[in-house]
Amino acid sequence: MILKLLILLFVLMVLVGGNRGLDSFLALARTVIAFIVNVYLITWGMPPLFTTFLVSVFFVITVLYSQNGKNVKMDAAVMAVTLVLFVIALTSGPILWRAGMSGYNEVEQYEEISMYLSPNLAIPMSAVSLSAVMLGLLGAIMDTAVAITTAVHEVYVNQKDLSEKQLVQSGMTVGRDILGTTVNTLFFAGLGESIMLAVLFMKNEDTVSVILNSKALFQEVSGIAIGAIGCLLIIPLSSILIAHFLKNSEENGSKKPDLLQKCYNYIKKHLKNIKKMVQ
Amino acid sequence: MNTWRKILKNRKKEIGLLIIFAAVLVFVSQDAFLYQETVVKVTSVENKFSHSEEGLNEEEEAYYEQAIEGQILNGKRKGEKIVLSNTYSASGVNDERYRKGDRLFVTVSDEESTGTLLGKKRDFYLVLLLGIFLYLLLVINRWHGGIILLSLILNIGIFLIALSDYGKGGNLIRISVLLMLIFSVLTLLFAGGIHKKTFVAIISTLSTTFLCYLIYEIILHTSARLPYEMMDYVVNPTDLSDLFFAGTLMGSLGAVMDVSISIAAGVSEIMEKTPDIERKALIRSIREMGYDIMGTMINVLFFTYISSAIPIMVIKIKNGYTLYHLINFQLIFEVIRFLLGSIGIVLAIPVAGFFSVLFLHSTKLLLRRKIK
Repeated sequence: MILKLLILLFVLMVLVGGNRGLDSFLALARTVIAFIVNVYLITWGMPPLFTTFLVSVFFVITVLYSQNGKNVKMDAAVMAVTLVLFVIALTSGPILWRAGMSGYNEVEQYEEISMYLSPNLAIPMSAVSLSAVMLGLLGAIMDTAVAITTAVHEVYVNQKDLSEKQLVQSGMTVGRDILGTTVNTLFFAGLGESIMLAVLFMKNEDTVSVILNSKALFQEVSGIAIGAIGCLLIIPLSSILIAHFLKNSEENGSKKPDLLQKCYNYIKKHLKNIKKMVQ
Repeated sequence: MNTWRKILKNRKKEIGLLIIFAAVLVFVSQDAFLYQETVVKVTSVENKFSHSEEGLNEEEEAYYEQAIEGQILNGKRKGEKIVLSNTYSASGVNDERYRKGDRLFVTVSDEESTGTLLGKKRDFYLVLLLGIFLYLLLVINRWHGGIILLSLILNIGIFLIALSDYGKGGNLIRISVLLMLIFSVLTLLFAGGIHKKTFVAIISTLSTTFLCYLIYEIILHTSARLPYEMMDYVVNPTDLSDLFFAGTLMGSLGAVMDVSISIAAGVSEIMEKTPDIERKALIRSIREMGYDIMGTMINVLFFTYISSAIPIMVIKIKNGYTLYHLINFQLIFEVIRFLLGSIGIVLAIPVAGFFSVLFLHSTKLLLRRKIK
């Protein structure tokens, strides 16, 4: 069934998108590989949060630069995404950690499957859960960041005499327009996923207090909420960054992109080393 | 001093919201009296290393004993001290570590000052996360954010009504079809306002969802039976396939709506700027829009769906399962959701393009011909 759907998706993408559809499909394949590598790195005992952060930054850089070329727009987008990931890890991390959202939830605990799986992993599950949440919001914030920086750049090219503040304003306007639909996408995806859980709560006739305090509900809601928070945070951040880059690059050359290039090369080199070590 | 006053003056609404938010948080942190279950506040915890167990790959997993002292916060025995015990492992796969300040649900034994732990009280953290989201939504997006919020609340309300209807024995397929209709009309009206593009977006969302439904049915009936028993939160074996299907379509609905409204809005923008654009040129720009949307939207869906499975993937890989098993049994439902959602996104591009050209382009030409 998966294979049939996959082939259908591939055919449709090529039919609708032509060559660029093919590109998108290859990009998807790369995403899947990055994702699987990340999971395996965690199981090999790498610190989950650190690994996820590195893999996501590396992923964001390669995807954005390869799809849209290396330019100011993408520099700003990459920086904004990295910053948001960092901020989310620092702020939501402690909340999730205190709330105890990792490991099996009440429902999974009593399922057959968790009975015979060994729980002795020597991997901190709280960090794994936070990694999952961070990866979950990655797609949405990348999408928003690129849309904003591209739009602001477009505005700037057409009207070069706009001030930094006005550019930020236009970025915010674009962001507000996008946000509604992005939040909807996340919301319905979450709703579709939690339909089973909702039915289960209903069939068990759980009380409101049990539902509100359950780990299962918290896991579902926190994913959606943090995704939405990320999408909100990235709007002002990417607007400010792109406006700043655009206004400063004409005055004193391009200092910041160089720094980014260095980071990029550094991570690339490191990943090669890791690959060598693995082999 | 002056700058502070200025900030206070200019940011009245933001600060007001912040104060409301803080008040709600304080209330929720003290809401133990609302609960029938006994709530205990942890006043001190002593952790002691207990033993270590060996995992499947020769890892050492350390287990700890916790001696917890707490105070009862509600009920007849409010204020009493209580002693509890708990065991946790360093990984925390199947157990929980409690810390000082945590609120716990406990069944207190009648005679002694001890009891059994039922679980953590999480409502504070739930409200905290949702509060941060709402605060940012309203501060960054102003009244725009209010509209989004209103549509979310309405959607959740309708979902709950539908759920209780299903609980009373309603027909699942009929309910989900109704739900899809209401969801898409409501959400798109909120997103696009009363406008022709909204109408186009609604039609193309519904047609695309219907196409997805056909594809799903055809592929489902020509493939091996899905291992529904492996699904999360299995409830009632008789209608698992329908439930899963309803969830899948609902999940793709958001993405399909996103694509439809983007394309409809784009076309109506083009029609406004260049009303006498050729049909061919319009189709070309729709394709252009489609390319841009396709890749990023599929990315969004991938991360949203698949990443929630990371913890169980890690647990299973450590237990010796292969990637093949994971994809075909553990992840199969997430993968199908993701693939069907992506197919919906790709299908929505030509469908929305078709309806946009039909309703936004052709009607304009017709009108002009009449004027001539």
